[in-house]
Amino acid sequence: MGGGEGRLTAGRRARPDLTTPGLLAPPLAWLAIFFLVPIGIVALYSVNVLDLLPEPHAFTWSAWHSFFSNSIYLTLFWKSVKMSLIVSALVVAVAYPLAYYLALSGTPRKYVLLLVLIAPFLTSYLLRVLAWKVILGDQGVVNTFLFWTGIRSAGHPISALLYSRFAVMLVLGYVWLPFVALPIFVSLESLDTRLLEAASDLGASRWQTFRRVTLPLSIPGVIAAFLFVFIPTVGEFITPSLVGGASGYMYGNQIVDLFGTGFPDWETGSVLSLFLLGVVAALTVVFSRFMRVR
Amino acid sequence: MDAALSRNGRLLLRALFVLVVVFLYAPIVILLIFSFNNSQIPSFPLSGFTLHWYHEFLRNTDLRAAIQTSAIVAALSSIGAVALGVVASIALARRRFRGQAVVSALLLAPLVVPFVVFGISLLLLFHTIGIPRSILTVVIGHIVISLPYTILVLVPRLAQLDASLEEAAYDLGAGRLRTFRSVTFPLIFPAIVSAFLIAFTTSFDEYAVASFVVGTRETFPIYLYSALRFPSQLPQVIAVAVVVLMISLLVVVGAELGRRAAERRLGEIEPT
Repeated sequence: MGGGEGRLTAGRRARPDLTTPGLLAPPLAWLAIFFLVPIGIVALYSVNVLDLLPEPHAFTWSAWHSFFSNSIYLTLFWKSVKMSLIVSALVVAVAYPLAYYLALSGTPRKYVLLLVLIAPFLTSYLLRVLAWKVILGDQGVVNTFLFWTGIRSAGHPISALLYSRFAVMLVLGYVWLPFVALPIFVSLESLDTRLLEAASDLGASRWQTFRRVTLPLSIPGVIAAFLFVFIPTVGEFITPSLVGGASGYMYGNQIVDLFGTGFPDWETGSVLSLFLLGVVAALTVVFSRFMRVR
Repeated sequence: MDAALSRNGRLLLRALFVLVVVFLYAPIVILLIFSFNNSQIPSFPLSGFTLHWYHEFLRNTDLRAAIQTSAIVAALSSIGAVALGVVASIALARRRFRGQAVVSALLLAPLVVPFVVFGISLLLLFHTIGIPRSILTVVIGHIVISLPYTILVLVPRLAQLDASLEEAAYDLGAGRLRTFRSVTFPLIFPAIVSAFLIAFTTSFDEYAVASFVVGTRETFPIYLYSALRFPSQLPQVIAVAVVVLMISLLVVVGAELGRRAAERRLGEIEPT
């Protein structure tokens, strides 16, 4: 329809309504004002051009310098990275077989089962964290159940259940598990099953077929799933502040505290924020080709 | 032979699936049980059935006000996000322009920016230009957060639509606005509803960004978070939790069923 299309395009161009710039202007303007400019302002705070206090201030890298020379914040960042790497790896490892089952077992109800798996993710985050607070506390469901059944004596709850690094990782895993199944499912579902049949016809065992065909083809989904958990959890502050106590304190909590009412230090807080943003942005750019999962 | 799974493998994976579903829903069921438990502290053994906590929260005016505030914030921000999302998606799915990759990356960027960083950025913006924090500042933040979700829902739907329907409308002399109103909009309406619901629930549940830019009028998650620190409030909060979790599960299932039914119906009138 080459000629017709040319005429149409010409006709379209003549009309004044809904031009491409006209369509893009409102969303781009919104993001420029309320998303990009604010990040620029954080950058200005991080180099002391803007400051919380009205006293005179001038450009300085000092907060950046002390961030990199002082090990406290970097150690905390590394701790958060480790916690979030462990959570992401475990969650992907559990979600993979589930996605595999739904996508490749030929079960007729795969979309219903997928919805069952994902539905909890679409409910309130805060309330799911609350549920674990109720379950894990010293006077919580698990401990009092153990007292009640006599497995543990009443004065000796398992205190490490709540307000610990373990609690933070358990709750983060619980919160993100339903979601990671989705990108893996999508990559397995779009897989051409004739490849599996071909492998099997050529004498490959199921395990060989999985290792040599299925797994390599689903790696983009796995990487996407991993990043979709890692990126939000590494900067997490809600879960650690509710169930983490002192040992579950994460980098995100440090940022919040620097902007809090106790001893605010917006300059250092801005440096911490931008560093986190930089790491996440770098990951996103490096892995962006894996993240185009619908 | 099934090349993907042996019989035993299938059984094993089915067992794992059941186990994970139990793990996912058990905490919700535990909340449900303890919401009827006649005790100030949610612990074993259970001490009798009561509807007291549900009565309590229905009488709690602060809580009702917080839910109302969140409903207003969620409605405004999802209308805003869907409106911006529709125009952005039409440009992304229907037009070819220079810098398309960059524009699309920018529109989706709020997805990967940690909420704590975005919340602080907004706080600093409003502080610097002297805008007092209120529910409007929360709405502004929630529109930014929800916009990428609406685009992720709308673009695939538009891409699926046969562009020749729109071209037919142009051929028949309709302008672009008219074509959008009479052809495109009705065809993507189910996706618009999904996008609206996703934006609404995202906003209704959002704590991180709201905690930085909220004024004195608390949203529901902000209220919940502060209530979590008072043990006397815990049983009521559990009752609220049960109601909210049940409603959101129903909405999720209902939205999915509705979307499928609508798309099946539209599928029949679309040339494929």
